[in-house]
Amino acid sequence: MVLCCPALSAPGREAARLFEQVLTAVTEFCPRVEAVEPGVCAFGARGPARYFGGETALAGRIIAAVADLGVQARVGVADGLFAAQLAARQAERATRRAVRATRPAGARSAGAGPVLVIPPGRTAEFLADQPVSVLAGQDVASQDLTGLLPRLGLHTLGDLAALPASDVAGRFGATGETVHRLARGLGSRPLAVRSPAEDLSVTQEFDPPEPLAEPVVFAAKALAERMHEGLAARGLTCVRVQVRAISADGRESRRLWRHDGLLTGAALADRVRWQLDGWRVPADRPAADRPADSDGAADDGGIAMLRLVPDQVVRATGHQLALWGETVVSDRVARAAMRVQAMLGHEAVLRPVLGGGRDVAERVNHVPFGEKRKPRLPASSPWPGRIMGAAPGVVYPFAREADVTDEAGEAVTVTGRCVVSAAPAWLAADGEPPLRITGWAGPWPLSERWWDPAAARRRARFQLLTSDGRAWLAAVQDGRWLIEAGYLLYGL
Amino acid sequence: MVAGPSGHRLPKVSEAPATGVTNATHAGSATSATSAARAVSVMSAGTLPVLPALRELLPRGALARGSVVTVAEFGLLILALAAGASADGAWCGIAGVPEAGVLAAAGLGLDAERTLLVPDPGHAWPQVVASLLDGCELVLLRPPSPAQGTRGTPGAQGAQGARGAQGAHAAHGAQVRQRLEATLRRARGVLLVVGDWPGAQVRLRVLTQGWTGLGDGHGRLRACCAQVVADGRGGAAMTRTRWLWLPGEDGRVAVAEPMDVPAHDLGSVRRLQAVNQ
Repeated sequence: MVLCCPALSAPGREAARLFEQVLTAVTEFCPRVEAVEPGVCAFGARGPARYFGGETALAGRIIAAVADLGVQARVGVADGLFAAQLAARQAERATRRAVRATRPAGARSAGAGPVLVIPPGRTAEFLADQPVSVLAGQDVASQDLTGLLPRLGLHTLGDLAALPASDVAGRFGATGETVHRLARGLGSRPLAVRSPAEDLSVTQEFDPPEPLAEPVVFAAKALAERMHEGLAARGLTCVRVQVRAISADGRESRRLWRHDGLLTGAALADRVRWQLDGWRVPADRPAADRPADSDGAADDGGIAMLRLVPDQVVRATGHQLALWGETVVSDRVARAAMRVQAMLGHEAVLRPVLGGGRDVAERVNHVPFGEKRKPRLPASSPWPGRIMGAAPGVVYPFAREADVTDEAGEAVTVTGRCVVSAAPAWLAADGEPPLRITGWAGPWPLSERWWDPAAARRRARFQLLTSDGRAWLAAVQDGRWLIEAGYLLYGL
Repeated sequence: MVAGPSGHRLPKVSEAPATGVTNATHAGSATSATSAARAVSVMSAGTLPVLPALRELLPRGALARGSVVTVAEFGLLILALAAGASADGAWCGIAGVPEAGVLAAAGLGLDAERTLLVPDPGHAWPQVVASLLDGCELVLLRPPSPAQGTRGTPGAQGAQGARGAQGAHAAHGAQVRQRLEATLRRARGVLLVVGDWPGAQVRLRVLTQGWTGLGDGHGRLRACCAQVVADGRGGAAMTRTRWLWLPGEDGRVAVAEPMDVPAHDLGSVRRLQAVNQ
């Protein structure tokens, strides 16, 4: 039986997450499920069908369960994965056609929603009517073949199946042989099912709740060792570890820490300590405000439970450093950065990644420490429209409003044809007294993402030199002037 | 001990970065062998190197470990100070400067792969800086001023306000500064401070600056010629003045001959007043 959710076949984290939930729902009915591709899953239907009283009944229940999650699904049942996938894709159409009282051969309309069930043994008949283009989804070589077959006069799978296997293999080679077997309804591979995930988390309860952090951290070390033993016994390692601490008054602190199989029990205990420190004492209270006798005890009643959950468990293949090309982040730096992250939050410590782009701000991507470093835009593309020359030393995270006026006091504008209305003479930023402009260059027009109304931007950039010797990068957009960056050596 | 190609024995790397956590990404700047060797040279010396053009401004031609260098306001000058050590293998932390121009710093020589940014350290900035000093050899810090509104404004009014704010926050920080300096000496790092830091070993200011390349509606900013003055205590008690291209045409810092400086381009420079005379 193949379950097809067309809405979830698009790429994206939201769709992937929803598909995970769909798989969990299907696992309730049949534990051995294979995820074939995004949006499509398959499982053997004989056993569950007998339990639930028929394939149609089973399909109806599954569609109802998946509909509870808000996902529309179609089900196809046949002998073999390929035929079942085709049946699932055509299930909707089969139902509609049955409603109009025309029945395709070898199919039975389902009373309960979009389900197409091919009776056992009638798979070859069902496949015989399919056009050759359904083979295109298999792989690249089959795609070429499906273009060629109609030109040779073979329009349906039945025509292909009628030919002798040896002739097809001789003419088309290995691809032809595979395709021929598929057309006859043979050659299905057994399902590659995933076994149900077992719970690898470890928990420690504190009764009575611990007011101080130190005993909790001490227990965390033993807990971490237990978790590592459990993972190692199964040959697994985890990419991240979720540390959950629940206090006696019910509040919970949850944090994901990067693990990559490299943390020892002591290192994980350190991270538990930083998480508790960051959670229980608010970071913006200055040290003087904390009561003198607190000694690390917070007023939340103590920690009642500590739980370590491995997140994204993968097979442990060991860790091999590359010979060159990687910047090694030593333990010392990682510990310092993570300590600051525990104090201020995960986003507080950033590492810059230089990439491509036209704006100075766009070219630097700030990635929180511990996450994968990748540039926002590829650096290898040419990016015409970039401002060449020295980069500004001060790049404002939020562009500052400014007024640029000419000698007469009128605001300087740039027409749609990139003609400046008058030479800029005065620059006044943030309501400050105006500075005389002694040199300027521009306008350098930039029209970005015109195809996306939300992200489209049209501006003209200028470099302005003011009488105090400082230079600015300003842009005019919709008649508003913004100072994006300052070429400042020394000065705000 | 590792035998080099010509039979020399290379010193064993005590820091052993190869066994630490790696951040595997696109190709980095150097092989891990040379960066390990560089790390050794950085760790063992008593100073951190600076860019060649800035050597004459500092006592001993380098940044002494455990010392504090101040610049009154943030800009390319203080980034240039950090770039030399970073290019040589040191880790650099920048705290309290959300508007740091990393691209410009990279042009001067700062290695973005060995930089940590903490844009907003908040009230606990002494603890944050102490933690950063544990990991980074060089920390660039702008302590938050109590009057936040006066930062980020050009013009004479803004300079007045900034002077007032810096006076105020210097007063409340004597104990904080001493503790931070003790941490600094213990960690053998260098602290570059944007703002006022009484007791700093070296203080850098820019007296005059002038950008070249912009005409009246044409051209683009090419290079900036600046007159930099260094003074301080101890070995830096003698005031030194140098003309520098900061940055030059190629984006790097270089020593400038005053005759090279085109006089007409510097026609309307202002003489920057030092914040503390």
